[in-house]
Amino acid sequence: MAEEKAPTTTQFPGTIEPQKPRLKKAPEFPILEKQNWLIHLHYIRKDYAACKALIKEQLQETQGLCEYAIYVQALMYRLEGNIQESLELFQSCAVLNPQNADNLKQVARSLFLLGKHKAAIEVYNEAAKLNQKDWEICHNLGVCYMYLKHFNKAKDQLHSALQLNRHDLTYIMLGKIHLLEGELEKAIDIYKKAVEFSPENTELLTTLGLLYLQLGIYQKAFEHLGNALTFDPTNYKAILAAGSMMQTHGDFDVALTKYRVMAYSVPESPPLWNNIGMCFFGKKKYVAAISCLKRANYLAPFDWKILYNLGLVHLTMQQYASAFHFLSAAINFQPKMGELYMLLAIALTNLDDSENASRAYAEAVALDQSNPLVNLNYAVLLYNQGEKKKALAQYQEMEKKVTLLKGSSSLDFDPEMVEMAQKMGAALQVGEALVWTKPVKDLKSRHRTTSANKSSNLQQPLGSNQALGQAMSSAAGFGKTTQLPAEQDGYNHSRLASCDDSL
Amino acid sequence: MANIHTFSACLALADLHGDGEYKLVVGDLGPNGRQPRLKVLKGPSVLTESPLPALPSAAAAFLMEPHEPRTPALALASGPCVYVYKNLRPYFKFSLPPLPPNPLEQDLWNQAKEDRIDPLTLKEMLEGIREKAEVPLSSQSLRFLHLELGEMEAFVAQHKTQPIRRQTVITTMTILKKNLADEDAVSCLVLGTENRELLVLDPEAFTVLTKMNLPSVPVFLEASGQFDVEFWLTAACRDGNIYILRRDCKRPKYCIELSAQPVGLVRIHKTLVVGSTQDMLHSFTHKGKKLWTVPMPAPILTMSLLEQRSRGLQAVMAGLANGEMRIYRDKALLNIIRTPDAVTSLCFGRYGREDNTLIMTTRGGGLVIKILKRTAVFGEGAGEAGPPPAQALRLNVPRKTRLYVDQTLREREAGTAMHRAFQMDLYLLRLRAARAYVQALESSLNPVSATLREPLKLHAVVQGLGPTFKLTLHLQNTSAVRPAMGLLVSCLYNESLYALPRAFFKVPMLVPGLSYPLETFVECLSDKGISDVIKVLVLREGQSAPLLSAHINMPVSEGLVAA
Repeated sequence: MAEEKAPTTTQFPGTIEPQKPRLKKAPEFPILEKQNWLIHLHYIRKDYAACKALIKEQLQETQGLCEYAIYVQALMYRLEGNIQESLELFQSCAVLNPQNADNLKQVARSLFLLGKHKAAIEVYNEAAKLNQKDWEICHNLGVCYMYLKHFNKAKDQLHSALQLNRHDLTYIMLGKIHLLEGELEKAIDIYKKAVEFSPENTELLTTLGLLYLQLGIYQKAFEHLGNALTFDPTNYKAILAAGSMMQTHGDFDVALTKYRVMAYSVPESPPLWNNIGMCFFGKKKYVAAISCLKRANYLAPFDWKILYNLGLVHLTMQQYASAFHFLSAAINFQPKMGELYMLLAIALTNLDDSENASRAYAEAVALDQSNPLVNLNYAVLLYNQGEKKKALAQYQEMEKKVTLLKGSSSLDFDPEMVEMAQKMGAALQVGEALVWTKPVKDLKSRHRTTSANKSSNLQQPLGSNQALGQAMSSAAGFGKTTQLPAEQDGYNHSRLASCDDSL
Repeated sequence: MANIHTFSACLALADLHGDGEYKLVVGDLGPNGRQPRLKVLKGPSVLTESPLPALPSAAAAFLMEPHEPRTPALALASGPCVYVYKNLRPYFKFSLPPLPPNPLEQDLWNQAKEDRIDPLTLKEMLEGIREKAEVPLSSQSLRFLHLELGEMEAFVAQHKTQPIRRQTVITTMTILKKNLADEDAVSCLVLGTENRELLVLDPEAFTVLTKMNLPSVPVFLEASGQFDVEFWLTAACRDGNIYILRRDCKRPKYCIELSAQPVGLVRIHKTLVVGSTQDMLHSFTHKGKKLWTVPMPAPILTMSLLEQRSRGLQAVMAGLANGEMRIYRDKALLNIIRTPDAVTSLCFGRYGREDNTLIMTTRGGGLVIKILKRTAVFGEGAGEAGPPPAQALRLNVPRKTRLYVDQTLREREAGTAMHRAFQMDLYLLRLRAARAYVQALESSLNPVSATLREPLKLHAVVQGLGPTFKLTLHLQNTSAVRPAMGLLVSCLYNESLYALPRAFFKVPMLVPGLSYPLETFVECLSDKGISDVIKVLVLREGQSAPLLSAHINMPVSEGLVAA
């Protein structure tokens, strides 16, 4: 590389020496562009060695005047990562032909790659004067503004790029800016348009699917992720996200088959092993689940979701001491989640440390907004300790949350939880208990119908009320909010055994 | 090895002698692109071979006139010329019309001819033209602009009499039917040039019938329709765009932006298939609407059309860098042909007396000729359909040992006890750590002071053999900006063992970051070969509690022991 570079770059100043002998013999000048086509053909075939040899020859012959040869040489430097050299060559191209917007565009591009966004913007503006209607200039200006955090300017530029000519890349950048600004809905609109424009771009499909997943619109999310997988069955993000959705519906075997593809191509992905682990958990293969989760934890020791799941599995395995460790580690990384404290409290209850368990419950109740399980479990503990009044308060709190959830009705109530709640209501002698159960049943039947709709869509039956195995799957960094609420079912199962005796 | 180095554009199949035996015409660039030759092959062997004046950029066989015998002529584009052969004999040479020079430039050189302008002014004026003018300068002027002062005179003297010339070169060439759609109808040549023009030539007179402008330099060219009726020209250009032109419009009608460089262009009826440098095959309608995209496993090197007339099949062939040659009908992969070397050029058609022959040349100069069975039918699904093979592999789930299971059982039995013991030990550990920490803080035993106001660091060095030692204290202010002032150093020691001339002294102002060496001498009074600890305390003026302290273990005084 180095020896190639030296002769070509020194060409420009040293054009004089071979001039004299040539003058006498050959006054006819070679056509400067005579081998441009060949240079270009070599370049697009990625035959860089041949291309460089030809460029060298061509530059020698024309004494460094062949603009296109320098241009391609610069492009190749940039591909090799020598951005500074490429910048210098593009600049000399711009000197040779100041009327060519392409030269300026490439100068700007090299500046951009060097991180000099402001300088790049200046050069792009210069290029825009030469060529008004170029989407590439608008697009790149938009990207530069994005990195400078001038989001409004960036959006303006990207929109005008889209008006000139539509490109997937522009859509992706525009969507990214909306996400950076936290405007999920607008980002979805942009990606929708993008998918309409190019329906086979897996990256667009996956991103749109994940955004829907984040908003909790599962059907559309699955549709788009499924489409992405049709076009590219090895798409990493789409497999994880689609797999985690299958898991929420209890299709563990299908999810596992999908994960196999990924385990082959990306064997060291923590979320993958987390999801595989929770699949095994759902299939009640607890030892395998623990193995996989521990591998995930080994690969990503600071991921609280994996620790959470490890805690959950160990609770199920009645290894309360281990569960305690995983859960307290998770709490250290994520101190703002009610469910974590609740699980910790359950572990502590089983370790006969009811004092700390109450404190953990108190923390959980304070942090949690919507999960009735937290209150129910707290009520059970309080009842067992003989504090009926406090238990009643928690029970009523739980009822409030249940009514709220019925309003949105996105969640399905675990039958064991309902049963437990009824028992609890009876024990506390709350008259409403009977009234309460009916709407729940109503709600469940309603849920059944929706799930029937879905199943026709997904072509696989939904395990409607599986108590276990709603795993927290960190689907490629998304799905944080969507997967959580289902988890506690797993715990509740193990919890019930102890409750039943006491009641 | 056939020693053929060429591109798909330089391959043509034609019945050159009108005997029904089709020959392969190759515009060969030669090894390293140094010996351009025109080769005509019959079967696997070279029939004739003749040297060419410059590298060929395209070859085509076309019918020049409607009269019998209907033997096609051969056109070979090279540099600024098209060489036309008939019966394999040179017949005509067409040169691109020279481009009009810049009038201002012409004017300047005319003045130079009459010696009315000196070289320096000429240079300045030319420079000015180059900056602004629409029409670029000739190579003569460009060369002149790069000369040093001393050589200008001679250059002007030698070249002033010559007319200014601007010449361009042909980058690509294809053929377009003149007025009939028949298989063997008279065809025009369509040329793409370096100065961004498309020219259509009359097949008999070789005059320019029409001229069209492009925004960039064409690389690949496709033509359909008839010149006299209606036609479409599709040009893939160096700016990564594909322009579609129609009859009666001088500018492109549609534009497809690829955002990568095209590496091949094939037209099937009204759809275009384009290979890009991003290892993708894209398909577009002839109006520029995107239809589909197929990813390739390796970079595409060349593309061509496969047409099996007997079955009405039209498919796209793509030669890949990994030595595969893939055949696609629309999105569906029909076949993969593996070759020993990467295929660099492709051609399909009638060769010899065989209707469906595939001709490939490889990177190393090899020639592969394959004949399609007359009964062969291309079926879809030859490629990878269904789930990827990795789906069938077993998951590598880590195994658990017997010991693990035993431990699990034990934890279930005695979980509470284990937890209690652990908590107990943890509390004890914390307690001890806290105690030690408090103790250190209370007595400022540590050599690093962590207080916010005076972050200091101290380390001490003892030099010498005794009985006199030199004690050097290195004191450093570790705060970011604030200097430390009003500090004192006090040494506590056993007065029966040691004597210090300076046991208590002031510390100069400490600038942040620098290490200050403070020296003091220590005299050992005992001759019994015993040593003791000297405590060094750093204090703030007016405070009795030390900021930090160091315990220095003094060495045994060897001087006295020896004496």
